[in-house]
Amino acid sequence: MPPRVTFQPCGWQQNEDTPLSSEYDFALVNIGRLEAVSGLSRVQLLRPGSLLKFIPEEIMIHGRDFRLLRVGFEAGGLEPQAFQVTMAIVQARAQSNPAQPYSGITLSKAGQASGSRKPPVPLMETAEDWETERKKQAARGWRVSTVNERFDVATSLPRYFWVPNRILDSEVRRAFGHFHQGRGPRLSWHHPGGSDLLRCGGFYTASDPNKEDIRAVESMLQAGHSDVVLVDTMDELPSLADVQLAHLRLRALCLPDSSVAEDKWLSALEGTRWLDYIRACLRKASDISVLVTSRVRSVILQERGDRDLNGLLSSLVQLLSAPEARTLFGFQSLVQREWVAAGHPFLTRLGGTGASEEAPVFLLFLDCVWQLLQQFPADFEFSEFFLLALHDSVRVPDTLTFLRNTPWERGKQSGQLNSYTQVYTPGYSQPPAGNSFNLQLSVWDWDLRYSNAQILQFQNPGYDPEHCPDSWLPRPQPSFMIPGPPSSVWLFSRGALTPLNQLCPWRDSPSLLAVSSRWLPRPAISSESLADQEWGLPSHWGACPLPPGLLLPGYLGPQIRFWRRCYLRGRPEVQMGLSAPTISGLQDELSHLQELLRKWTPRISPEVHSKKRDPHTILNPTEIVGILKDQFHPFWITRC
Amino acid sequence: MLGKGVVGGGGGTKAPKPSFVSYVRPEEIHTNEKEVTEKEVTLHLLPGEQLLCEASTVLKYVQEDSCQHGVYGRLVCTDFKIAFLGDDESALDNDETQFKNKVVGENDITLHCVDQIYGVFDEKKKTLFGQLKKYPEKLIIHCKDLRVFQFCLRYTKEEEVKRIVSGIIHHTQAPKLLKRLFLFSYATAAQNNTVTDPKNHTIMFDTLKDWCWELERTKGNMKYKAVSVNEGYKVCERLPAYFVVPTPLPEENVQRFQGHGIPIWCWSCHNGSALLKMSALPKEQDDGILQIQKSFLDGVYKTIHRPPYEIVKTEDLSSNFLSLQEIQTAYSKFKQLFLIGFPPLPPYCGSDNTATLLFSPSSAYQLPSDNSTEFWDTDIKWFSLLESSSWLDIIRRCLKKAIEITECMEAQNMNVLLLEENASDLCCLISSLVQLMMDPHCRTRIGFQSLIQKEWVMGGHCFLDRCNHLRQNDKEEVPVFLLFLDCVWQLVHQHPPAFEFTETYLTVLSDSLYIPIFSTFFFNSPHQKDTNMGREGQDTQSKPLNLLTVWDWSVQFEPKAQTLLKNPLYVEKPKLDKGQRKGMRFKHQRQLSLPLTQSKSSPKRGFFREETDHLIKNLLGKRISKLINSSDELQDNFREFYDSWHSKPTDYHGLLLPHIEGPEIKVWAQRYLRWIPEAQILGGSRVATMSKLLEMIEEVQSLQEKIDERHHSQQAPQAEAPCLLRNSARLSSLFPFALLQRHSSKPVLPTSGWKALGDEDDLAKREDEFVDLGDV
Repeated sequence: MPPRVTFQPCGWQQNEDTPLSSEYDFALVNIGRLEAVSGLSRVQLLRPGSLLKFIPEEIMIHGRDFRLLRVGFEAGGLEPQAFQVTMAIVQARAQSNPAQPYSGITLSKAGQASGSRKPPVPLMETAEDWETERKKQAARGWRVSTVNERFDVATSLPRYFWVPNRILDSEVRRAFGHFHQGRGPRLSWHHPGGSDLLRCGGFYTASDPNKEDIRAVESMLQAGHSDVVLVDTMDELPSLADVQLAHLRLRALCLPDSSVAEDKWLSALEGTRWLDYIRACLRKASDISVLVTSRVRSVILQERGDRDLNGLLSSLVQLLSAPEARTLFGFQSLVQREWVAAGHPFLTRLGGTGASEEAPVFLLFLDCVWQLLQQFPADFEFSEFFLLALHDSVRVPDTLTFLRNTPWERGKQSGQLNSYTQVYTPGYSQPPAGNSFNLQLSVWDWDLRYSNAQILQFQNPGYDPEHCPDSWLPRPQPSFMIPGPPSSVWLFSRGALTPLNQLCPWRDSPSLLAVSSRWLPRPAISSESLADQEWGLPSHWGACPLPPGLLLPGYLGPQIRFWRRCYLRGRPEVQMGLSAPTISGLQDELSHLQELLRKWTPRISPEVHSKKRDPHTILNPTEIVGILKDQFHPFWITRC
Repeated sequence: MLGKGVVGGGGGTKAPKPSFVSYVRPEEIHTNEKEVTEKEVTLHLLPGEQLLCEASTVLKYVQEDSCQHGVYGRLVCTDFKIAFLGDDESALDNDETQFKNKVVGENDITLHCVDQIYGVFDEKKKTLFGQLKKYPEKLIIHCKDLRVFQFCLRYTKEEEVKRIVSGIIHHTQAPKLLKRLFLFSYATAAQNNTVTDPKNHTIMFDTLKDWCWELERTKGNMKYKAVSVNEGYKVCERLPAYFVVPTPLPEENVQRFQGHGIPIWCWSCHNGSALLKMSALPKEQDDGILQIQKSFLDGVYKTIHRPPYEIVKTEDLSSNFLSLQEIQTAYSKFKQLFLIGFPPLPPYCGSDNTATLLFSPSSAYQLPSDNSTEFWDTDIKWFSLLESSSWLDIIRRCLKKAIEITECMEAQNMNVLLLEENASDLCCLISSLVQLMMDPHCRTRIGFQSLIQKEWVMGGHCFLDRCNHLRQNDKEEVPVFLLFLDCVWQLVHQHPPAFEFTETYLTVLSDSLYIPIFSTFFFNSPHQKDTNMGREGQDTQSKPLNLLTVWDWSVQFEPKAQTLLKNPLYVEKPKLDKGQRKGMRFKHQRQLSLPLTQSKSSPKRGFFREETDHLIKNLLGKRISKLINSSDELQDNFREFYDSWHSKPTDYHGLLLPHIEGPEIKVWAQRYLRWIPEAQILGGSRVATMSKLLEMIEEVQSLQEKIDERHHSQQAPQAEAPCLLRNSARLSSLFPFALLQRHSSKPVLPTSGWKALGDEDDLAKREDEFVDLGDV
C-alpha cells in the first residue's frame, strides 16, 4: 500500500464500491502541515522528526491540495492511540521517500478486471491509440512515427507521435537532434479548418546542422503550410519559479488561520500574483486560438523544454477551439496526450523529487480551465467537481499517471517495455494474449477512489453543446479561412506578428534570439484586436461573428476569479451553502416529473421523450435519491 | 484592466499625446454626411417634454472591442434628456433590443443622470462648468449609470456648438428649483393618459390602513399602534402622515420635540422583538433644556423598557459606524474604476480633490509610456485598486451591522433601537437590510418594493439631496441608496433562490433613480411630495397631479422584458392548500415539486462530533476576531450566531445571512461592467446558464401541465413561456445591457491583416495611420 494517511469513518466498509475513500485519504507527500491540538490553546506544529509534547485531542492535517483533515480523538481510553497515531504519521513523513519504487496498486478492483480490460481513456502508449486519434482529427497530412519506440530519440517524448507524411523517420531522427533535449516539432492538434498546431523544444543552437538537416527541420515546422507562425510560449508567461512562488503564497493565504484581515484580503490575493498568471495564460491561449482559427497555417508553440508551458497552452487552445475537447472524455484524453504522454515532469513539478524545480504548472492549468468553466458554463461537459477531483489526484500514490516524469519511466515501471520490439504496421493490432505486464491503472479509473454518486457529479448539468446554433461540424470550413501570402513566416510575440526572415536560427542570418530583440512592444490593443486584424471583414460570417465552436475568454481584472471551492476548503465556514440547488435541482425535478408521467400514462412516455431533449439520461430515480441524501458536495473534506 | 479601451485609443504606444484614435478619416466624413441627412432620426418626445437646443453633424464615438469609430447625428437637449440621434438605430431593430427601456433610449441621458461633463480643448481635457469663454472640440459626458459618451463637435457649426454646450451645461449643472423638475411638466401633460397598473400591489404606506396591515402581517399589533397624529404634517414635516409607535406612548410625546426622541416602529419579528428607530433630539447648549430633554427621554425609555416590551438595545448609527462622508468618498473612487472612455482628467476642482487625484486609475496613463508594460499593469493592480476604494469594505460593514442586529433580535430576543440624527440615512439602510434577512416577505418583489416604500420613501430619506437632483448642494450628495442596493445584490448573489427578483431588477432600479418621471426618488420627504402635488398656478381647482411611481414597471418595460426582472429559480413558499390552488400555480411563481428543504439534508457528521465544538470555535475564533472590534461578549454572540447559521442548511424562506469574509464580497459586475465592451464574453457567463435554466423550467412546466391534464380532466392554464432568452444562441455576457457593441457592425480596420505586416516600413506606416482627429 502506498504511503498515506487514511481515515475510515464508522460504518465504512472495505468492500464498498470504492476501494479507497477519496475524502479522507491523504498521501504522505500531500501533507503540507501537521498540527496537534490540545485544549483551546495548545497547538504544536509537527515537522518530520519532531517529538510530540502532549497527548493530542485533535490533529489537523493541512493538505498541499488545500484540503484539511481534522481528526478528533475522543476522550476516554484513546489517549495512547492518539499519541501513537500522531507519532506514526510524523515518523512516516520523515522516512517517506517520494521517489521510492512504486509498488503498484494491488486491490481486488484491479484483480477483477480481466486482461482485455480497456483503459477508460486511451493512454497514448500504443501506436493504435495515436492512429485512432489522428483519424479522429482528420489529420491527413500526418502519420504516426515510430522512431522513438525505444526511447532513443528522447526519453521524455512518447514512443509515438505525429510527423508530416512526407518526412522519413531518418529525417525525423536527424531533425530532432537539433532541438533541445531532442524534442522536435510534432503535431498537437489538427484544426478541422486546416490549420495545424505544433509543439517543439527550443532550437539547439550549439549544433551545426547541414543543409539537409535544416531543410528537414524547416519542412517539419512548415508542415506543408505557406503561412507559419512561431510562438514563443515563454514570452509574457510566468517562469517556473514564478508559478511556484505564487502557489506557495496562495496556499499561505488560504490557510484557515492566515493573518490577513478581511478588508485586506483582495490586495493579499493580488499579491500572490496567481490570478495574474492565470490571466496571462488565458490571454495568450486566446491569441493563439485566433491564430489557429483565422486562417490555414502552421502554428508552432516553442518552449525551450517543451514540457511545461507548451502543454498548458496547447491544451488551452484546444479547449477554446475544439468542442470535443470540452467533453469529459475529450478533456481526459487531452490531458493524457498533452501532459502525461508529452512528458510533463509531474513528479518534479509537484515536489515529488524534492528537487528545486517544483512548480505546479498543471495546477495552474486546472485553474485556467476552471476560469473557462465559469465564463462558459454551458460549453463544458465536465463540472467543477471533476476539476476538483483531478486537482486532488495529482499526489495520490495509486496510479502512475502523475507520479513519473517521463513516459519512459512510466513505461519502465509498468513493465511495458518488453513489447518494444513490435513494429507498427497499419491495421496491426497488439495480441492481447501474452501480455504479461500488470494491468495498468490510470488516474482516469475514477472508480478506484470515487463512488458512483461522486462520479455522477463530474457531469455538468448545464452542459448544452447545442446552445450555439451552428454547432461544431468536424469538416473543413474554408469559408472563414483566408489563405495566407506565399511563404510567410511570423513570430508571434506580445500580441503582434513580426515577420521573420527564416525559421531556423542557423545559417548566415541572426539567430532567433537576435530577432527577439526586435520585438515590438505590444501594441496598445488587446487580443480582440488580433481577432480584428485577422477577421477585419466579418461579412462572410453573417450575424455570427466568431467561427463556430471558438470561445474567446475574458481576462480583465474583474473577470479572473478566485477558485474558492478549491482553495478555501480549509475554511469550512466559507464552503457552506455554496452548492445551492440550481440547474441540478431542476434536473432532478424534471426526472421526477417524467417518472411520474411514465407511471401514470405508460403509453405516452416515448412521445414525451422524443419531443424534448433529454438531459437526464444519466440519472435514474434511485440515483437521484442518493444525491439528494448527500447533497453536500462530495469533495469537501471538512464537515461541521 | 478596464482601462484597456482607453489605452487602446490613446495610451499605450503613443500616450500621452494623442487623446483619441478614430478610424474615420476625413474623406470618409463627407460621404457619410450626405447619408446622415437622408436618414435623419426623429426625436421622440415624452408628454410635456420640450426641445431646448440642438446641434447637427455631431460625431459620436462608438467603442467596439478595442477600436473606435464615429457615427454622425444630431445632439439635442430637452428639459428631460440629452439625446443623440444617429443613423445607428436601424442596426438595432432585432431580437436583442427586446430589453429596451421605453422611456430612456440607449443614446439618451436624462439630465439627472449626468455626472460630469468634460470638454477637450487642444487635446487637454477640462471639467466644464459655469460660463465658458471657449468652446471645446469634444464633449465627454460621464453618466451616473456609468455610461460614458464622447461627442466630437469639430464638424458642427460654431454657433450650434455654443448653444448645445452651454445648454447642456446649464440644464444639467445649474441649481434648479424643485418646481422646475421635469416630473411636474410630465405629470401635467400626461395627466389623462397615465394608467396606474391595477396589478401593482406594492404597499405605499401613505394611508393608516397600510400601516395597520403591516402591523397585522408581522403580528406587531399587540404592542404597537399606528397613529395619525401627524396627519396633514401638523407635527413634523420630516415624518410621514402615519406611522407606528409603542401603544402606551402618549401622543403629546410625539408633538413635544416634533417627532424627535420618540421610538418609531419599523418591523416586528416572529418572536415579538421589534426593530425601532429614533431620530436624535436637537443638540442644545442650554443646561435647562438639556435637563428637559433628559427627563423626556427617561420617560420614553421607561415606557419601552417595561414589559411587555423586550429589553432594548440601542444602536447609535451616528457614531462608531460609517460616516456619510466615508460612503461618498469610497463611491467616487470606486466608480472611477469603471468610467472608461478617456485618458486622464485634470484635477477636478471639487471638494474631494485629493482623493480623486490620488486614486484615479488613469493616472498610470500619464506616465511616459515607453515601457509598454504599464498598460497591463492596471489589470495586475485591479484588486488593490478595488480594495483601496474601500467600497466593498463599506458593504461588508453594513452587512455585518445588520447581522449583529439580527442576532440581537433573533437569538437574544431583544428590541433594537436604531439611533441617528434624522433617522433617514443609515437607519433606512440598516433597518431594510435587517428586514431582508429576517423577513422572507421582503424578498418577494412586492415585498421588496413595499420595504423601500416603507423605510426609504416614507422613512424620509432625502433622495433629492442625496442624489443631488437639483444640483443645489454637492456636499449633500451621498449614494446611500446605491449602497443599499449593492448590499442587497450581495445577498441576491449569494442566495439566488431566496429572492423573487434578479440582479437585473436591482440594476434597472438603480437606473430609475435618475428618471424624473417617477415621483418615488424625487422628493426629500412625503411632506415635500404632498405639498408640491398641486398644479402650478393658483387657478387649479381640479384634482392634484397624478405622479407615476417607479414600481409601475410597465412604464419602462414591455411585459416580455419584464420577465428578466423575475428570478426563475425563486421558489414560492409552500402553501398548505396548494391542492386547491392549481389554477394559480403557473400564473405566479412556479413551485418545485420536490421541496427544497428535502434536498438540503443535514450534513454528515463523520469524524467531526459535537464534543469538538470548542475546537471549531478555537479555529474560527482566530478568523472571526478579525471581523469584530467590539466587546468580547458581543463578539462571542455574533460569532456563534454567524457560524451556526452558516453551518446549517439554508432555509430560503427563513432567516438569511450573507457571507462577509474577504473573498465573499464581490463587485456588482452587471451594474458596473455592463457598458464596457471589453468585458463581454460572447456566448458565456451567467446568461448561458440562464437560458439553459429557462429552457428546463419550460420543460418542467409543460410536464406539470401534462400531469395535471392526466390527473384532472380539465385543461391546465397555459404557462407563460419566458421567451426572451430563447433562440438567442450566443448572447454576450453583457446581456441585457450594452446592446450597442455588436460584432457584426465592427468597422473595417484600415490596416488589417497580413498586408500591413509585410515589412518593417509598413509597420511604421501602420502606426501613422492611427489618425488622430485632433490633428486633422
